[in-house]
Amino acid sequence: SSIGTGYDLAASTFSPDGRIFQVEYAQKAVDNAGTMIAIRGKNGVVVVADKLISSKLYTDNANPRMFNVNDNVGVAVAGNYPDGFALKNYAYGEAMKWLKDYREPMPIQNIANSVAEYIHIHTLGISRPFGAGAFFMSWNKQTGGRLFLVEPSGLNYEYKAWAVGKHRQAAKAEIEKLKIEELDVNQLVKEAARIIMVVRDENKDKNVQIEMGWVGEQTNGKYEEVPSEVVTAAEEWAIAKLDEDDMDD
Amino acid sequence: MFRNQYDGDVTVWSPQGRLHQVEYAVEAMKQGSATVGIKSETHAVIVALKRAQNDLSSHQKKVYEIDTHAGVSIAGLLSDGRILARYLQTECSSWRWDYKQAVPIKKLAESMQLKLQANTQYYGRRPFGVGILIAGYDKDGAHIIQTDPSAEVVSMHGTSIGARSQSARTYLERNVDNFEKSTPEQLIVHALLALRDTLPAEENLNAQNTSIGIVGKDSPFSLLEDAQVAVHLNQVSTHPRTTGGAAAAAAPGGAEPMQM
Repeated sequence: SSIGTGYDLAASTFSPDGRIFQVEYAQKAVDNAGTMIAIRGKNGVVVVADKLISSKLYTDNANPRMFNVNDNVGVAVAGNYPDGFALKNYAYGEAMKWLKDYREPMPIQNIANSVAEYIHIHTLGISRPFGAGAFFMSWNKQTGGRLFLVEPSGLNYEYKAWAVGKHRQAAKAEIEKLKIEELDVNQLVKEAARIIMVVRDENKDKNVQIEMGWVGEQTNGKYEEVPSEVVTAAEEWAIAKLDEDDMDD
Repeated sequence: MFRNQYDGDVTVWSPQGRLHQVEYAVEAMKQGSATVGIKSETHAVIVALKRAQNDLSSHQKKVYEIDTHAGVSIAGLLSDGRILARYLQTECSSWRWDYKQAVPIKKLAESMQLKLQANTQYYGRRPFGVGILIAGYDKDGAHIIQTDPSAEVVSMHGTSIGARSQSARTYLERNVDNFEKSTPEQLIVHALLALRDTLPAEENLNAQNTSIGIVGKDSPFSLLEDAQVAVHLNQVSTHPRTTGGAAAAAAPGGAEPMQM
């Protein structure tokens, strides 16, 4: 491999076979972080993250990973937390500028594009690439649910469902087993909790906590944090379901 | 001269997706003498251990008021910390100018995080080699915010940073359930006991090397005078010392001139 040959020390350097290693390494920061799953269902989008709580001294909901960009669009950041926070702040600022200029909320496609452009500039070599990615999600009657992921490379794709972080492969395999188009948001919340729990590594993933956000018909198209009692109920459902599956085996 | 190829600059990712320069800056914070912050429902307290270069010099200031409703304490490179304290003072006063009211602590924490993050990403800067604790009181109640050079900024019930701070955090984790309903006086005692656990057995807290800052409901931030500090230290001296904890996590090196 080309690691250590000097072609991987700056984002401004191509390796002889045309790769930009610094961007790949930044992606690693996302790959090694806690799992995050986002799923678009029948009438909304749900995002769920597995967060490491390293001490009981943290206050409840310290370091949230999910935020509003505006009333209708939510963002969930994965990877290096401070980098993700800076991305959220940029997205929020762009949405605010749009609102001032056009007197209407910034559409999700424009938000995702503008953040992707911002991230991309950081892959050209003046500074280091962002070690974080961001899901953007929205729902309304006209377009239905929409879900985007912007990666540290600046790539920006729309998804039906996707997973990033440590256990993304296992999580994606689990998502593919579901008929997500047929599930409403309340079912998605449960299944998402189940998937996060089933892909956990029992020996390594300790002191973890689930954080969830949703947008859909039942929230009237507003992006919101999922209330803690709903999260707790989803976790209880998931535990029961996992026990049941164990019995079958 | 470098430990590996990827630690020469903050703008370089290692193949594992880590930022070594930022991690080293966190080490600078860990060399500074400790500071502890805890909160109850109504009050937030920060205490700090000050070092003096020698017997003739004064102790280096570690606690700053940043507004009537908030103060900070510092561990690490104190000159970096002073810059951050000044930055927060400016944030507080410009918010007051814009909104005619005190800045919410959450907003202060967010702007702090963005400032710290920029220093981990852009060429020509280095991360701040300092961690700070913000103690504040606003309409949402009392707050303790912890920051570090990697731009992790987090709200805590209680915490400690700096040399041998693990011992203090152990004390805090054991007693965290009592903080919520504590009186301001009890809160200060808890904080001082935690701070004392960071000291080696032959050293002790005294009015000269200890700073206490407190803020809360209907009481603006105040940095206690030496005489008041002595009163609180008296209450602490009746508690027996837990030995062993501090020695286990001894920090490398002695008192570096810059890091106090």
